Amino acid sequence: MEPLLYIADLEKQVMDDFHLGPINLKLEPGTITALIGNNGSGKSTLLKTIMNLVKPDHGNIKIDNMFVHGENENWKRLVAYQPQTIIGWDAFTGEMLKKLIAPLYPDWDEALFQKMVELFEVPLGKKFAKLSQGVQQKLNLALTIPRNAPLLILDEPTSFMDIPSKKLLIDLLVEWMESGNRSILIASHQIDDIKKLSDYLFVLHNGKMLGHFEKEELTSTYARYWLRDSLSDTRIPGEVTREDRMIISDNPMETEAYLEAKGIQWSNRSSLELDDIITILLNNKKM
Amino acid sequence: MELPIKISKDSREPIYHQIVNQFKALIAGGHLTTGTPLPSIRALSKDLEISIITTRRAYQDLEVQGFIQTLQGKGTFVAELADDLKQEVKVSSVHKIMENAIETALNYDYTLEQVKDIFLEILHTYPKGKGDH
Repeated sequence: MEPLLYIADLEKQVMDDFHLGPINLKLEPGTITALIGNNGSGKSTLLKTIMNLVKPDHGNIKIDNMFVHGENENWKRLVAYQPQTIIGWDAFTGEMLKKLIAPLYPDWDEALFQKMVELFEVPLGKKFAKLSQGVQQKLNLALTIPRNAPLLILDEPTSFMDIPSKKLLIDLLVEWMESGNRSILIASHQIDDIKKLSDYLFVLHNGKMLGHFEKEELTSTYARYWLRDSLSDTRIPGEVTREDRMIISDNPMETEAYLEAKGIQWSNRSSLELDDIITILLNNKKM
Repeated sequence: MELPIKISKDSREPIYHQIVNQFKALIAGGHLTTGTPLPSIRALSKDLEISIITTRRAYQDLEVQGFIQTLQGKGTFVAELADDLKQEVKVSSVHKIMENAIETALNYDYTLEQVKDIFLEILHTYPKGKGDH
């Protein structure tokens, strides 16, 4: 299938001290990718570059086979992007913002907008500046998702929202994806977004791409063992960390082959939670 | 629809395989009857916290083996099962669970004779006549 978003060898130097890339990424229609990274890893810069709000120094970005930095701007109607912070909305009410935004999108889904406003209890008559940060995010989502663009890009959309609203949003996005040809790229630190929504994880650390993983493939790469006997100080193949008799491996096959060859028994083997794996990835940075 | 499907991420059995086997048991055991609509791949992926790649693979396997069918634009439904296929699934799933139990006991250094005693002991805790036809 033709990728909806295609990024090749993207690089960007920001000021003197931050370098993003090289980034390579393809998003297939019908999939959800979580963009994960430490604070300051370049997630927002990457999303802005996709939206042509930041010019890359090197590399290409295509949306549905159109270069985003080319003359042709038709790709813009294929993307709905929700930035982390919005400038210029403060003086407007939700109702006014909707009247400005909806006509720009031919596939605008008014029923979905009304449904979201009702579910999230967003007061449409209040000025944006007067809303709490959580309600601002809810209104922002209600003004973004109903655009029904095939590619939805969300930059930490729920950071200020309450727990029930976060759950509501996950259900809304699952339903929104049912049409089949849509994709979501979501930068998030919320473990529930990552667990319940994402098919793939794209992991960034200080501007460097650590990998693009299918979720179960990633989980199956890690295992935790509790050994019956204590170990010598020699590093075991696959070992990532150890604490006394517990070791974590990022190569269970090699680890088990070694343990078996040495006659070391383990009393328990378990898989790791995704947040543990992300922590290991971001702390160890080795691939 | 929430289904009584539970996957174990610690199991050595691949996740898609666990899903396939549990669906088979639900269908062969009559808990999911012919024509019952199944959750979409995306919705089941959310409930089980797995990727659509894994769920799709499970649904494809079930479809190839004749347990479910997908109707274009309508969704996925439980298929009509031949009686001998139902029987086969019943026999093999019960056998598998017994095998696992025996395997666990042997790992704890029980002898086969002791396993047999445990089995009979448990059997006796059930009231007489339960399960008679």
